[in-house]
Amino acid sequence: MNRVDLKVVLLGNAAVGKTSLVERFVNERFNESLSYQNTIGAAFAAKQMQVNGKRLIMGIWDTAGSEKYDAMSRIYYRGAKAAIICYDIIKSNTFQRAKFWIRELRTVEEGCKIYICATKNDILKHGAVPSPDINVVETYAAGIQAKFFITSSKTGENVAELFNEIAQDFMSDPNNVQKVEEVIDISNESKGTYCCQ
Amino acid sequence: MEDVLEEVVSSDDLKKFERIYNEQLRSSVITQKAQFEYAWCLVRSKYPADIRKGILLLEDLYCNHNDSEKRDCLYYLAIGNARIKEYTKALNYVRSFLQVEPGNQQVQHLETLIKKKMEKEGLYGMAIAGGVIIGIASILGLSFAMVKRN
Repeated sequence: MNRVDLKVVLLGNAAVGKTSLVERFVNERFNESLSYQNTIGAAFAAKQMQVNGKRLIMGIWDTAGSEKYDAMSRIYYRGAKAAIICYDIIKSNTFQRAKFWIRELRTVEEGCKIYICATKNDILKHGAVPSPDINVVETYAAGIQAKFFITSSKTGENVAELFNEIAQDFMSDPNNVQKVEEVIDISNESKGTYCCQ
Repeated sequence: MEDVLEEVVSSDDLKKFERIYNEQLRSSVITQKAQFEYAWCLVRSKYPADIRKGILLLEDLYCNHNDSEKRDCLYYLAIGNARIKEYTKALNYVRSFLQVEPGNQQVQHLETLIKKKMEKEGLYGMAIAGGVIIGIASILGLSFAMVKRN
């Protein structure tokens, strides 16, 4: 894949399920038998999407959650049009860490839209209780003009919806639509001599 | 455009982490963190000389530090070597990583990327052709020796 129209970054505490979210969205799978592997630095995945009849490629940087990689994560959110800030639906400390990233993004990357994502919604069926309360997160999200999604990578609940919303929001800006179309024109014109690097 | 073998460090970032590393070098106490972050920028540079320097720093970290950092070093050693087309070395690092964590998808994915890059550059083909040439040469050599003996 040689071009990315829309750069998305995932941020959040270690082990909240950022990689699983990407894996569910990009490859439509969830491997329950796989033991936890913490991501090194940042991983990259890309997916082609259709929005209002237009094709675009979403490039996703899945950053490592452990604090020792913070300096690296900062490099990967630069220039991102959207950030998915993940936290574990029952772990309030991971919500605190989500707020930390949101505060930072708001000061450094003003053009980056924020999507708060509560992960692992499937565990609530087994009696676990959300922390903080969902209302608290909803109020917080509304206050900072962020969208809020509750997902489960295990069941796939709301995962495609989250990424589709990001793509829709991106394409609702006419400037972005124009950019995507320009790139398509160029690649059509140079057909034949185009080298697929 | 992007992906772990293609993305390029910005010169500002490289300078920033280089400065931190050099300051520590002067005070003669280099933290693992500073060395790793500088090395991580170097192996993502577009200049092979930077990448080679990054590889040296990572090798040093790998030899002298604890296990939890070793997997990070192996991963970026594989990336650095692949970027300067040292594919055999890169794949060796990938394999040593997978010996410890056979199911690691991030590293499996890296292995696929490296092999694709080799294929694109025709190195897989070259390796096979190389084998054939050696084979023919040894047959020729053998027959030449036999002719000579006769």
